[in-house]
Amino acid sequence: MKVTVYVWDFPIRLFHWLLVFAVVGAYVTATLGGNLMDWHGRIGSLIIGLLVFRLIWGFIGTTHARFGSFFPTSGRLIAYLKGSWQGIGHNPLGAMAVLALLIDLAVLVGTGLCSSDDIAFEGPFHSLLNSDDWKDTVSGLHKQAFNFLLLLIFLHISAIAFYRLVKNNNLLVPMLTGKKQVPKLFASEVTGGGVLRFLSTVLVSGAVVWGIWGSVEFFRPINSAPVVVLTPSF
Amino acid sequence: MKTKLTLAIILTTAATTALAGPIEEQIRFRQSAYSFLGWNTGKIKKQVVDNPETFNKDYVSAAANAIAAVANSGLGELYGTGTDQGTGWKTSRLKPEFFQKKDEVTAIANTFNVAANELAKVAATGEVNAIKAQFGKLGETCKSCHDLIRIKE
Repeated sequence: MKVTVYVWDFPIRLFHWLLVFAVVGAYVTATLGGNLMDWHGRIGSLIIGLLVFRLIWGFIGTTHARFGSFFPTSGRLIAYLKGSWQGIGHNPLGAMAVLALLIDLAVLVGTGLCSSDDIAFEGPFHSLLNSDDWKDTVSGLHKQAFNFLLLLIFLHISAIAFYRLVKNNNLLVPMLTGKKQVPKLFASEVTGGGVLRFLSTVLVSGAVVWGIWGSVEFFRPINSAPVVVLTPSF
Repeated sequence: MKTKLTLAIILTTAATTALAGPIEEQIRFRQSAYSFLGWNTGKIKKQVVDNPETFNKDYVSAAANAIAAVANSGLGELYGTGTDQGTGWKTSRLKPEFFQKKDEVTAIANTFNVAANELAKVAATGEVNAIKAQFGKLGETCKSCHDLIRIKE
């Protein structure tokens, strides 16, 4: 007998699909270049906000959004490999993929804040790096982290296709509706989340992004603070 | 006659080499050229894109003219055979494929020159939005060459 479980709460779904659009947008703007690079930077900020949101929601969101409920502990991984793992939400292997995606995205935005395209765009922290070698290395890491992201996205989509075609398990619809049909045996009560927590998490995430941009001046070494220097007029 | 022809060829080759200089020098000149371009694109970016309220027509126009002058200076001369390997101010990031893709690069370089000259023209009008649009187009030509023949870190 199957029952409907509210597996992905609204904030998680919103996070997921905004992230999809943001990643596509960041890719397109970076590929086309030119004045769109400013949008690349703005989308990067959105992704930072989304990641902070996900991090907080992983502690105060509903059951299956919580890191604690799906973190791939050795016990869970061993059970999964033996075929005895049971549950809904992310399975231990999927959980590893999810964490890899989140960590790689964190590296991407982190390096992005310090990168330059060597044309006319640079992240707010780029000028704080004090050597050309570092600047080149970090900008290069940004590209490599993106290539790794492509690999992870490929695995993500392949896994969804595999579940749909081979295991006859549709993972896409639950990410749209939030609801999933599961054997009654696995169903447990979904707790946590709520509108108030959602709104406050959005607020905190926004504040973090704002704070990152605001902190640029804070991190700038005092001796390089912008001062009016009189230079010869030629 | 044959001797004269040979002599002419040798002299021309020698002259070209003398103009462009040895490999390290070519690399150093071109790295200098691009970092000078970067200084000037940075100035335009600051006053046209980031803080349009600080826009100063003469300042931006001077930067655009400098970019156009570098573009028109015949940078191709600094891409002699063997200049994919070597160190100027730092190790060159020119891909060896450059020498197989010369036609493609030349086409891009020409669009870059056209865009740079156009930017100088637009900058002279002092219309911020038009400058911004043309500045973006110039950046796209930079990018297409970077994507093609510049080694990624």
